[in-house]
Amino acid sequence: MKLYRTIFFLLIFIITGGSWVSIAFKPTPLKFEIPKGWPQPKYDFKNNPLTKEGFELGRKLFYDGRLSRDGNFSCAACHQQFGAFATYDHNLSHGYNNSFTFRNAPGLANLAWQKEYMWDGGINHLDLQPLAPITAPNEMGETIENVLNKLKADAEYKKLFKSAFGDELINTQRLSKALSQFLVMLVSSNSKYDKVMRGETSFILPEQLGYDIFKKKCTSCHTEPLFTDLSYRNTGLPIDDILKDYGRMKITGNKEDSLKFKVPSLRNVAMTFPYGHDGRFFSLRSVFEHYRKEMVVGPTTDSLLRNKMPLSNYEIGQLTAFLYTLTDTTFLKDKRFSPPGAEIVPSFIHLH
Amino acid sequence: MKNKAYLLVTGCLLLVVLFGFDTKQQHKFTIHFNHKIGLKELKLMDEKYINDFGEGMIIAKFKYYISNIVLTGDGGKTAAIAASPWLIDEADSSSKSIHISSPFTNITSIQFQVGIDSIKNVSGVQTGSLDPLKGMFWTWNTGYIFAKLEGYSDTAKVPGHYFTYDIGGFKKGENAARKITLQLPVSRIANPASINIDADISKWFLSKYEILISRTPICHSPGALAMQIADNYSDMFSIGQFK
Ligand code: HEC
Ligand code: HEC
Repeated sequence: MKLYRTIFFLLIFIITGGSWVSIAFKPTPLKFEIPKGWPQPKYDFKNNPLTKEGFELGRKLFYDGRLSRDGNFSCAACHQQFGAFATYDHNLSHGYNNSFTFRNAPGLANLAWQKEYMWDGGINHLDLQPLAPITAPNEMGETIENVLNKLKADAEYKKLFKSAFGDELINTQRLSKALSQFLVMLVSSNSKYDKVMRGETSFILPEQLGYDIFKKKCTSCHTEPLFTDLSYRNTGLPIDDILKDYGRMKITGNKEDSLKFKVPSLRNVAMTFPYGHDGRFFSLRSVFEHYRKEMVVGPTTDSLLRNKMPLSNYEIGQLTAFLYTLTDTTFLKDKRFSPPGAEIVPSFIHLH
Repeated sequence: MKNKAYLLVTGCLLLVVLFGFDTKQQHKFTIHFNHKIGLKELKLMDEKYINDFGEGMIIAKFKYYISNIVLTGDGGKTAAIAASPWLIDEADSSSKSIHISSPFTNITSIQFQVGIDSIKNVSGVQTGSLDPLKGMFWTWNTGYIFAKLEGYSDTAKVPGHYFTYDIGGFKKGENAARKITLQLPVSRIANPASINIDADISKWFLSKYEILISRTPICHSPGALAMQIADNYSDMFSIGQFK
């Protein structure tokens, strides 16, 4: 009898133990939450199903300086969480070998709803985005081949690729898919504005007045809920004679696209200064001065701004109050998006 | 017991023989790309070649994508060869031979595309010959470089006198993918084991259009110039020797 019992328990033990082992080899699906009232995302999740392991791998890669030639420039060197994943307080970002980027690093949020990336929309798939900074001599200055070789030489990465994708193969596609898994999860939808929209709180008066003006003067381009309609427009920034950046025209080769740039999202705008595609505006105030005074109206300037944009000092104050409600502190402090190992709680202990 | 084992072995043998016959239906042959410039065989970083405009040049890189091979044979039937695109690279001799299984005993023409279908240009990162690390990809303006010709020419008024033609473009109005159809001569040996396709670089400079290195030493993006050069090099192929 005793023997039977031991065998029985042993069997139970082996079965449960065995199933644990097999579970450990299966990546854990990660759910992508679409905030209430938002459109369907454009990212093709079918081709890159989100998993906890894929996301964690992407996070490690995002914070790993080895993706650059000299080890100094991780993605996060230019995309800093406390700056809403823009380069905090820099018009242009620093890159490999004392160089500068040609453009202002935009904040990274809600990327799953975009179809084209960069200020000129030159990149047509999020998975392709990392290849541009990795290979650009003024950003990470590395070759894809070298990056892959560095990762392949690291036993830890072999393990992580295996748990995310099933085997130890490390190639360009997996590198970029893992990074995309991290990037698409960067959803910012919990600002005061969002809470007001969800009926959880309400604006104070200046914010409400600012919102009313915003809906009249800004939403045709900075459309809710993403605060961009993702179109390319010329808002009258005269060309910088050193950078000579004609924006969208570089991609389409079409004169009508000269000086057009992607409408940036205004989410977390209080944190993403300086502003504009080359970071020429150091404050919101200077953006408003641009819209109402400094703008240069040219042949491709947007039809909505033919007569610039009249804004009184009062309106500017109220608009600013409203724009500050777009700061999402949950997002800026979300531990899931911080450097791996920065959490106080090891990731295998689940508290929430 | 022993009998049964024999049966099994003969059965297996029979199967092998049957399958063997089946694959015999597929005629295997090799297409070999043979690179020339005018009448001369191409050698990288070697001799100074002269184009039809008298411009001297040393070739440093020459590579291009071949995709969508379609064979015609046996009374006008066609067969598409399902395989990923091939990157033909002068610097890698093994890349210049591609192995094909044809359902026809008698091929009358070979059609292929120089370029990459637009779907592959819009669906993220690909693998194999299309892995962006092959260097045939524009990262800042998404799209494959379909063909690349680079080298040194005193007439190139650019740094290092290094001219670079990176040709690509998949969007409407700037499509640089070109279909090429080559008829095989009627009087030739049946079932050749290999067919040479000659590619003559001098056509890049002079065919439908005149492309002078002195005038346009650089083409780095899709557009009008890229399409003209693509038109030109679509004339560079011809059927060479058989074996
Ligand atoms: C040297 C600074 C720098 C580094 C390093 C860097 N980026 Fe960027 N990033 C930029 C700049 C500048 C832009 C805007 C470029 C443009 O529009 O031409 C940008 C744009 C982007 C965008 C497009 C955002 C949008 O809304 O269009 C994404 C996504 C992105 N980067 C992700 C990454 C990832 C992932 C990495 C690491 C592989 C990385 N970046 C490394 C500076 C950097
Ligand atoms: C015609 C479309 C359009 C309208 C209307 C418009 N914007 Fe913009 N906005 C843009 C574009 C395009 C840019 C990027 C310009 C550039 O850098 O070349 C921009 C940039 C900005 C920036 C800088 C953001 C950053 O991260 O760089 C702020 C702030 C801004 N707009 C606020 C507003 C406000 C507030 C209003 C309404 C008073 C408004 N905009 C109206 C198109 C528009």
